[in-house]
Amino acid sequence: MNPLKADKVVKQYGDKTAVNGISFEVGAGEIYGLLGANGAGKTTTMRMVLGLIYPDGGQILYHGKAYSKEQLSNLGYLPEERGLYPKVRVSDQLIYLAQLRGMSKKDADDSLKRWLDRFEVPEYYNKRVEELSKGNQQKIQFIAGVIHSPKIVILDEAFSGLDPVNVELLKSTVKELRDSGTSILFSTHRMEHVEELCRNITILHRSNVVLQGNIKEIKKRFPKERVILSTEKEVSGLDRIGGVTNVIRHEYGYEIGIANESVGGDILRHAMNQATITRFEIKEPTLNEIFIKTVGDSHE
Amino acid sequence: MNNFWTVVGFTVKNKLRGKAFAITTLIIAIILSIGINLPYIFSQFGGGDKVTSIGYIQSQQAEHADGTKTGDQLKAYFEAQEGSKLQLVPYGDKGSAAENEKQLKQAIEDKDIKGYLAFGEMTESGFPEMTYKSEKLMEFEMTSSLQGALQIIRQDTVLQDAGLTEEQRALLNAPIAIDAVQISATEGAGSMGEGKTAEQQGMNMGLVYAMLFLLFMSIMISGQMIASEVTAEKSSRVMEILITSVSPLKQMFGKIFGMFVIVLLQISIYVIVILANVSLPHNGKVMGNLNINLSDIDPMLLLYAILFFLTGFFLFATLFAAVGSLVSRTEDLGQAVMPITIVSLAGFYISIFSIGSPDSMLVKVTSFIPLFSPFVMLLRLGLTDPPLWEVLTSIGILLVGIYAAVWISAKIYRTGVLMYGKRPSWKEIRKAMKAYKI
Repeated sequence: MNPLKADKVVKQYGDKTAVNGISFEVGAGEIYGLLGANGAGKTTTMRMVLGLIYPDGGQILYHGKAYSKEQLSNLGYLPEERGLYPKVRVSDQLIYLAQLRGMSKKDADDSLKRWLDRFEVPEYYNKRVEELSKGNQQKIQFIAGVIHSPKIVILDEAFSGLDPVNVELLKSTVKELRDSGTSILFSTHRMEHVEELCRNITILHRSNVVLQGNIKEIKKRFPKERVILSTEKEVSGLDRIGGVTNVIRHEYGYEIGIANESVGGDILRHAMNQATITRFEIKEPTLNEIFIKTVGDSHE
Repeated sequence: MNNFWTVVGFTVKNKLRGKAFAITTLIIAIILSIGINLPYIFSQFGGGDKVTSIGYIQSQQAEHADGTKTGDQLKAYFEAQEGSKLQLVPYGDKGSAAENEKQLKQAIEDKDIKGYLAFGEMTESGFPEMTYKSEKLMEFEMTSSLQGALQIIRQDTVLQDAGLTEEQRALLNAPIAIDAVQISATEGAGSMGEGKTAEQQGMNMGLVYAMLFLLFMSIMISGQMIASEVTAEKSSRVMEILITSVSPLKQMFGKIFGMFVIVLLQISIYVIVILANVSLPHNGKVMGNLNINLSDIDPMLLLYAILFFLTGFFLFATLFAAVGSLVSRTEDLGQAVMPITIVSLAGFYISIFSIGSPDSMLVKVTSFIPLFSPFVMLLRLGLTDPPLWEVLTSIGILLVGIYAAVWISAKIYRTGVLMYGKRPSWKEIRKAMKAYKI
């Protein structure tokens, strides 16, 4: 039985539907991506999973059971915006939050120290949150979400405001959590993170599910429409090949839009006549493109 | 229940650690200490006991005869009195009224006298017309003590002329005492029996005063703190994490109880500061004068006072928490808590201004209204003897009120903490409240 299952969940604010019948399942040791433009209903969905707000229709099951107070200690949450007491010491508030989720003071303290070491910032133990930089506050916020070793972790925009080094650090931590069997519901705007971390995704647009499923399968469903070509010297006449939709010149070479995969061969032959080829690739659509395409399409 | 105490502990610990708490407590403690020692400090400067000197013209001339006689009589009278705050200083006649006036004014300027008496025509009262002239406005105290002195002088003269003996005159002046004892004609709510003596009434009034101030202060101090803590948690979004960890009811009451502990602590510090200052040797005399005897306090009244203090505190505290949860930004908080502040102010003032008339209709009616009754019923209990059923009814209504306030506040709290942005409309609040179980 999957740790987290949402079944046709609906949420309405007044006469506006915020989430319209979303269903998904997150398995143990899986990171599930929840994508969507701003205001698409991601945070509302996450809040319903947390029990912060109640769905107006459908149900959410935790290990097959409905929401109850006992579930609280199984849930970990990292909100999109900072949710910490600015003027309270890191140790005080994290131990407090862990205690509220049923940990003993000593266990919480041990766990906190372990996490601070993991993030290589043991000196923050006695600091006030307001003294820390935004990125470091995010680390503390992350620890607040996972200090009690929850079975289900909800990460809303976990990597926002972090520098690349810290993003890598946090990403590897998330992977560790996944490998230790935690179910993670993950939302972000950064598609490359989703491609790296998530097995399954749901794309929400204006409260509706517009795309759902395994990332690999989703990608197969979308035609390969781009060719990357790098040559030693310039190639002319690429845009005159039949089936080529557009040509963009980059420093590294050409990015060519194609109507279907077979045009690739024509391009390769055309280029070989003119120059030595250093790179030729018929690219899979990136999630970014799929996202823009899906969300953009339904705009009309 | 465990989580409840965790919340209490966290609230107390953070408040105690904060600089604001320590500084506020210290400042108020210093102000209290200064206030209590002020009379002593003043007396050290000699300002309080200074004898006021009044000048007059002493002259052998016929036109000044009446004035001089009256002046001499007053001078003798005040000299005869022990510890008199007044003394008369004679000045020689300079010949003309203008010269005399000039001389006396000069004396005022030299700070030898505060003012002087000018005498005019003889009147029917047996004294000449008198005018007290000084640089100060509204010298009613001065003229009335002069008046009193003259009354006695005249009385003495008349009695002496009538040929009364010394004993007879003493008898005429002996004070007459009437004691007022408050009794209850029916079964009252206070302690039964002989009624209250003047001392007991005084102590009860003192207790009522003290408790009214204590309740009002506690509500003011902690109400603001509770509301702003809730708003701060909300605006920093800690609330989202908290609400997923602990039920809103526990969270709210943990916070309220934590604040209660803080307020009690703060008030005990003040009380200790007051007691310590009062028991300093140089303040001993002041305390003796106040005639405080704690055994005169009616134990039933004390019990009621504590009961009304607790219920009143929790009623207002829950309301403050609810309002705090509706506001997303601390800047909007002042406006939002205004109604509650005004209600508590109204309750407090109704009782303070009704101390002179504790049986008025206003007091009777408001002593049954939950938000006022902690203040007003206490006043009635302390100063009158309301029937037991009225007190019990009032407490009953108050408890129902608290229950309703807790229920509504918990709902509002649960709802409000997740509402951001603009102030939610009543319709939105009502709608959202229906959705949440507490």
